[in-house]
Parts: sequence; structure tokens; C-alpha cells
Amino acid sequence: MTTLEEVVTRARTLIGRWEAEDCGVLTVKEFCRYAAAVGDDAYVARARAREAAGEPVEAPPLFLAAMMSWEDGPGEDALRPDGLAARESPCTQGLPVRQVHGGQSVRLGRIPVAGARITASRAVVSADRKGGRSGAFVLLGVTTRFTSEDGRELMAVDETIVVLDGETAPREAAA
Amino acid sequence: MNTPAAGQVCPPRRYAHSRVQLFRFSAVSWNAHRIHYDGEFAASEGFPDVVVQSTLHGEMLVRYALDWSGPDARLEGVSWRNRATAVAGEPLTWTATVAAVEPAAGGQRVSLDVSVFKDDGTACVTGTVELTRPDGPV
Repeated sequence: MTTLEEVVTRARTLIGRWEAEDCGVLTVKEFCRYAAAVGDDAYVARARAREAAGEPVEAPPLFLAAMMSWEDGPGEDALRPDGLAARESPCTQGLPVRQVHGGQSVRLGRIPVAGARITASRAVVSADRKGGRSGAFVLLGVTTRFTSEDGRELMAVDETIVVLDGETAPREAAA
Repeated sequence: MNTPAAGQVCPPRRYAHSRVQLFRFSAVSWNAHRIHYDGEFAASEGFPDVVVQSTLHGEMLVRYALDWSGPDARLEGVSWRNRATAVAGEPLTWTATVAAVEPAAGGQRVSLDVSVFKDDGTACVTGTVELTRPDGPV
């Protein structure tokens, strides 16, 4: 079995298995740091003014979708050589692969506010062998649904992860 | 200032992501993939510099669309596909064209076809932004 066949085999055993992750309680500081990193100083001033006035502070629109992980770790020694954690590279543990992000589709419901406790439920939803200008690859589909404590959906994110054979795919292969 | 209409072309925006921005975005999004902050590693993968995160592309597309649509606009959805890699310091151009405008509660729903281009004309990212906004010009 080739590396990519192994990825598909593993992924198909995971399809439809939803795993819930506690994202914790959202904070104004997290929002502000995120906004500052993308150059939105105005958001920072606005958010701190609302907080000082005792008003709800909404997250930047794509804050939840942009988070790679809500885990406390893992420690550095648990990262793959490319820096990714096992969670961020589903179905590929121990395999010589490289991966790139194919794209995302985000549907927004209610905007989360600071102080809300959020849960992310995530599942592999598809795994397909494909071929392109960079050779063969596997396209993994992953869906994440963010909900608040009352169970209402805040956001749904569909993303595609392109998995390439790390030994045969050309360098700089992109989706 | 015009009321949005299908076919309307939005003013383009030019921007280059700095290495510091890519590092900070990786930090705040807990993204430890080395191609985004480790130049040596990025070079070993065939890239001329550290690579712009897919999620940062999405974030910038949304900000570009919301900036164009005005302060009371609300994001409803966004989708994008990564077509080519962009790296730190590379001049990029955001473009958008209004694809559709429909009545919506309290205003209008606007769909934008959005893209990010390199200077040689290669599309890095293509996608769609959906937003609602009050009636009126942009």
C-alpha cells in the first residue's frame, strides 16, 4: 500500500466521527491580539472601549475559524518535523507526507462575544485520491462546527487539506 | 459613491505581508507550521520566503470586502481556494467584483467575487464573500 493509499484508508475510518473540543471562555485579550496581528488597531481601541463601558465585545468575524487548535499543547517534542501537531494532520501520523491548506468555506451565524464558552466539534467528512500538476495527492475534507453553551451554532467551517507524498511530490507543491 | 450593483468593480488594494505579521498571525492562531515563520525550513520546501497562511488570506479578503462595504456591513460567509503560494514581502493585489445584490432584512445582501493576485498576474487566492449591509451607496 502506498503512503497516500494509507492516508485514504485511515481517513475513511474516521469519516463522520465527530470529536468535541472545549475552546474555553473567549477573552477580549485574545480578540485584541488577533486583531493587532492582522493590523486592525481600530478594533483594539473599539473593543477595549466597549469592555470599559460594560458592553458586549464581539470577536473579529473569522476569529474562531482562524484558530488552528484550541489545545493547550502539544509540547515541542510532540510536533512533527514540519511543526504541525498530530491533530492538525489527521490520518497521517508516522507517514512521510507534506500537507497544504486547500481552502475554506465559512458560514457565520451568531457572532461570539467575550465571556462565551465555545465548543468546537470536528470531523473528517471526505477523503479522495486526486491528481494534479503536482502529481498525486489526497484531498481531505474536514468540517468544524462551533457552538455556544446553549447549543446554538455560531459558525461552520468546511476546509480542505491537501496531503502529498513527502518522498515523491515535488517541492513547493501547492494545491 | 454608488449603490452596489452586479458587475461593479471595487477599488483594488495593494499590500505585502511582513515576516513579523506572519509570525504574529501564526502565534495568535496557534499555527506552528514552520513554513510560516522559519525561512530556512520554507527554503527547504522550495519557497523563496516564509509562506502566507491560508487563514490569513481569508481574513484579509474579508477585511477588504468589509472595508469596501461600509461600517455597518456584516459578514455572512466567505469561501476561498488557495491557487498559488504567496510569501512575505511579496506585493499582492486584492480585487473584487459585485456578483449579486439582493434585498435582505434591513438592507441588502451582496455577493462579491474576490481574488488576490501576484504582480505577474498569477491568482494566489480566489473566492466569494457574502455580506449584508444597509441600503445606500458605498
